[in-house]
Amino acid sequence: MRLHLTLICVFAFTMNMNAAQAFDLNDALKTIDNIDNKKNSQPAESPAKETANNNELSINLISPTKKEEIALGREIAGNLLGAAPLVKDAGLQKYVNQIGRWVASQSERPDLPWHFGVIESEDLNAFAAPGGYVLITKGLYRKLDNEAQLAGVLGHEIGHVVKQHHLKVLQKSQLLNLGANLLGSKVGKDSQTIQKVIGSGAEIMARGLDKDAEFEADRVGLVLAARAGYDPYGLPEVLEKISEVSSNDGSVALLFKTHPTPDDRLEKLANAVGNHLDKITDGQALPKRLYHLK
Amino acid sequence: MTINFKKSALVLLALLIPCISVGAEMGTALKADTLRKEPYADAKTSGSFARGDKVEVITKQGAWLKVKAAKSTGWVRLLSVKRGSTATANQTAGILSVASGRAGTGQVVATTGVRGLTEEELKDAKFDEAEVKSLESYTQSAAQGQKFAKAGNLKAIKLEYLPDTGGSAQ
Repeated sequence: MRLHLTLICVFAFTMNMNAAQAFDLNDALKTIDNIDNKKNSQPAESPAKETANNNELSINLISPTKKEEIALGREIAGNLLGAAPLVKDAGLQKYVNQIGRWVASQSERPDLPWHFGVIESEDLNAFAAPGGYVLITKGLYRKLDNEAQLAGVLGHEIGHVVKQHHLKVLQKSQLLNLGANLLGSKVGKDSQTIQKVIGSGAEIMARGLDKDAEFEADRVGLVLAARAGYDPYGLPEVLEKISEVSSNDGSVALLFKTHPTPDDRLEKLANAVGNHLDKITDGQALPKRLYHLK
Repeated sequence: MTINFKKSALVLLALLIPCISVGAEMGTALKADTLRKEPYADAKTSGSFARGDKVEVITKQGAWLKVKAAKSTGWVRLLSVKRGSTATANQTAGILSVASGRAGTGQVVATTGVRGLTEEELKDAKFDEAEVKSLESYTQSAAQGQKFAKAGNLKAIKLEYLPDTGGSAQ
């Protein structure tokens, strides 16, 4: 009976009920305590617009603050780095951050503390986690001919963050679990509880998003790279390269499992672009500036 | 006699065509489009192709490609054609079957031995604080990003997000 009541509350809440009026539900939705006490390595940000309780930061997935979003993303990125660490090349990592940061500045969320990294994996893939964490594999990086292509790939991942695609997936799955969480008076703390939200390890990266989220990230990525002054065709060029790789190749297994086919993506992009890029004639590709892997 | 000459000319042509296309960059039409006589949206039309048609890519100029389709030659927007490497006709024929969900390009290539990140590996991954700290240490400020852009002569422009066309041709 109590479970039913709780679920009704949850559904009422999701039907655009004002969060402030949602009596104690907000409290019950706290899944994490004191996460910022545990970690103090977040770079200082401009004061968040959202008001988070300083002593007791919780993750409210229904309307997470920027801080909460970053905390979730940090956990996911950290787990992924546990499977594939950063390439030990400071020059490369700095380079990727310079481009990523500039492309992200063209988005509607320039205020996030964007982090970019190249990871030790021969896979062809790239990943995004909430709050501005973006990782690209060494295998995919090696395929690139110029900076515009890198900007396009990073732009796609930035698109996932800006449109909160992973957060939406977590919200959906968490809603299904909410009843159980609300009944438990105290759920675990810190990363243990985040783990409950994101699943084990970096498995959220193996599950993937729905196809429309990928198509949307392609459209956003192309536009962000173009806004940054790059040749807008970097991303489609990379998709062409990926489509040349045999689907039997292990390096694209995860990518093909979690994404629509490159040809499908190219076709959707072609239709969306239409004549919208006709006036863009001086985008830079910057092949010479592309940082070469050691 | 003239008939024979025509015949042998045809045979010669038939022999030559495959030779010419070897080494040429091939492409596949991602959507039906109009070929134009010049690389501009308002240039006169010179023909058209259908989605899935194979074309030969002749040259690229800015955001336009000059292609040779079955019946005509002309310019199309870059994204109307998926360019392949110096693929043979057989390889490009498989391209759209991949798009329709059928795995493989018809050309079976043995796996390269790269195993790749697996679902299990990701599931079992353990949080690595030192690596996250390292990742965060490379973070650049907006101003630093802008400076790097300026050094590359990158100029920010205004451009609206693209509409969701749902995959249907406009």
